Amino acid sequence: MTPGMTTSDSIPLTVIGGFLGAGKTTFLNQLLRQSTRRYTVLVNDFGAVNIDAALVTSHDGSTINLANGCVCCTMADGLAETLLRVLDAPVRPEHIVIEASGVGDPWQIAEVALTEPDLHLAAVIVLADAEQFPLQIDDPYIGDTVRRQIMRADLLLLNKTDLVDTRHLALIRERLLGLRPALRIIETVRAILPAEVLDADLPVKRAGTDLPPVHDHAIRRWLYRSRRPFDHAALQALLDALPPSLLRLKGWCCIAGETTPRLLQMTGARWTLSSDMPPPALVRAETLLVGLGSAALPDDGRLAALFDAACAPDADNQAVA
Amino acid sequence: MAPSTTIFSARKIITMNPALPTATHVAVRDGRILAAGNADDMSFWPDAVEDNRFADKILMPGFVEGHSHIMEGGIWPYTYVGYFDRISPEGVRVPGLKSIDEVVERLRAVSDAMDDPNELLFAWGFDPIYFDGRRMTRHDLDRVSTTRPVVIIHASFHIMNLNSFTFEKIGLDGSTKIDGVPCGEDGRPSGEMQGVVARVRLFRGLNWHALQTMVDAAAVQRYGRSATISGVTTITDLHNEMPDENLTLYRDATASEDYPVRLVPALSRVGSGSDAIIDRIRELQGMNTDKLHFGLVKLVVDGSIQGFTARLSWPGYHNGADNGLWYIAPTELGEIVTALHAARVHMHIHTNGNEATELAINAIEAAQLAHYWADHRHTLQHCQMASPAQFRRIKALGICVNLFSNHLYYWGDQHYALTMGPERAARMNAAGTAQRLGIPFSLHSDAPVTPLGPLFTAWCAVNRQTASGRVLGPEERLPVADALSAITIGAAYTLRMDHLVGSIETGKYADFVVLEQDPLAVDPAALKDVPVWGTICGGRVFQAPKG
Repeated sequence: MTPGMTTSDSIPLTVIGGFLGAGKTTFLNQLLRQSTRRYTVLVNDFGAVNIDAALVTSHDGSTINLANGCVCCTMADGLAETLLRVLDAPVRPEHIVIEASGVGDPWQIAEVALTEPDLHLAAVIVLADAEQFPLQIDDPYIGDTVRRQIMRADLLLLNKTDLVDTRHLALIRERLLGLRPALRIIETVRAILPAEVLDADLPVKRAGTDLPPVHDHAIRRWLYRSRRPFDHAALQALLDALPPSLLRLKGWCCIAGETTPRLLQMTGARWTLSSDMPPPALVRAETLLVGLGSAALPDDGRLAALFDAACAPDADNQAVA
Repeated sequence: MAPSTTIFSARKIITMNPALPTATHVAVRDGRILAAGNADDMSFWPDAVEDNRFADKILMPGFVEGHSHIMEGGIWPYTYVGYFDRISPEGVRVPGLKSIDEVVERLRAVSDAMDDPNELLFAWGFDPIYFDGRRMTRHDLDRVSTTRPVVIIHASFHIMNLNSFTFEKIGLDGSTKIDGVPCGEDGRPSGEMQGVVARVRLFRGLNWHALQTMVDAAAVQRYGRSATISGVTTITDLHNEMPDENLTLYRDATASEDYPVRLVPALSRVGSGSDAIIDRIRELQGMNTDKLHFGLVKLVVDGSIQGFTARLSWPGYHNGADNGLWYIAPTELGEIVTALHAARVHMHIHTNGNEATELAINAIEAAQLAHYWADHRHTLQHCQMASPAQFRRIKALGICVNLFSNHLYYWGDQHYALTMGPERAARMNAAGTAQRLGIPFSLHSDAPVTPLGPLFTAWCAVNRQTASGRVLGPEERLPVADALSAITIGAAYTLRMDHLVGSIETGKYADFVVLEQDPLAVDPAALKDVPVWGTICGGRVFQAPKG
């Protein structure tokens, strides 16, 4: 396997990291309660998981099944053992989410998705507590642990931003970008991440270009459609160099010299271009991408220009969006 | 009918009971010690059976290994390829291998003797630290076989080496760069693999669950035999999540009179909340018998020093390596320690580096302030790097330590040159300081990380000699008598079993080690060579198997 490729039917794996108290459990509780997808979530401690009893269909001590199709497993038997069980379960999850321990390095877990043919890495998402972060990052005991978690995150959720004023928030952003200038940061209040960031629905499912509203003023949507195929190398270079304010990108990309569009999945800095998933009939001959970005996302025209510039030079077709 | 009494005589009985330090006879009834004394003292039991087979030997309280693991019993069906000689549970001395070529040679011989050309060949105990920076590559193992998977797990139990066939079979060719699979200059996997990546991929690629299937009834029996060979009659299994299958194995094995050792597992529950740990340990304690003792809870704070994962205070690793890893968050450690302490749960806390030790001491101090418990006996396991100031706090707070003295021999040279540098290497596993301050302490092997053998462990604390012959910190050397105390009554105290084992006195279990020589009379440099004939556990005699 090469980076950026996925095999057919592989399950996306998202790893959630972050120091104790950053909001991982809040994030996962929301995911389990509100999901429209069949997530299987591996958590460190059942005690912290808070799911309405009405949603629970069965609970056998190590696995909770929810009415919405989600499954929550504890890793009391160890991460490897639990993951092996999940991968061999009769019902394949649509998406696996693993909670790293508060002191663990989520990247160590993410590597499993790079070696398992049944998995591909969707993203490493690390949460940080905006109020605690300045203390944690300089703490002699845990500063290096927190830094290690951030250094390989695809997305950083800067959580509990309501607990600090704007001046402090700016300082924290500066500190984070000092660690990693291209770090993708989303500011949240109660670890509420728009579901689209984790697993975006393609607009094609709605057979049109109308975007569903985003219930978060800090998140902007962007749509790109084009009949001009991309130059493969230019597209790869572009995907590696997109502005950090573009947090999520998903859709179908036509590539010059290829007959069917490829599925593009990008979360934070991580992207995959998969060729073995057939696109729906509607998008057979066009590029269709939907993006989510922070408030700092460049305007639509500037983003479109970046993608137009990656199109193959000999194409005559007109961009339609 | 009067209960049957047996009187064992010996050339000398070293009791570890200061009120009667030596004896020549010990009367045993119902598996317990009726009395120790001289021949005249035994005249009160004229009907007793005299057992004089040890009349020319030395008896001591059976040794207590305060930190070892059941994996010592599980690993022996596989090929040993470590650097130092090792004694198998059958009493066979397996020679250490002094070069990678010797490792390849032994594995090739084993491979050639295997009937099935496709069967996995698994080996253990390898440690590249002894080969001047040379790592084992997949090409080395290709000389063993190109048709079967060859997998070696390192002495650390964290890193593995694979041959090219295995890499191909599990589909790793280096095209995806990952930390867990380092690549060589040719861009292909160099041979090592580690972490959760390795566990999952080996299972799915070879349908083989590394280490997971090794603890079975035979492993529990081998653990018992290894105990007998090394003179141990009380042994820990100091990190066990204790699933029901494991519990059943232990209950079945220890229910038999033929099982030669008392088993003391420590419950480890990664990720479960304090309440769940407390409930489970109470439930387990309800199942205690004379040979199966629950009560300890294990917490792991940091990693290992030779693996550069222990947490160190300033100035950190001598060679400049990054500081190590927390296995539990500092705040979480405080919460768990306070909750367990409040519930009167006895904790054994793994801290290798001094920064981890500092946090564990702080946690126990905070717990003591919130819920005073005079006799808690919480024990810092390994505690290899504690500073004198930390030892003074340990003393003040009533904490016990179990020092990893075997490190001085096995990795002492590397600690001097690489991990700790000269001064800190000289104060590692500072038994002398613990002794001077009056801290209750023990010494351990952490088998299978290093070989099980309390006399060898005591020798390490007495001589502090590295594998190359350097003496690390002569001021920390222990007198032989104190080292023997540490591996008997000292360890029993840290396990809260000093009322049952660890010395020879009326009422305690009749658990003895039978030695061919008097360890107090031999040259301290020869302490490790005192032959162990076998043991007596609960009054039953177990002769050590001899290869």
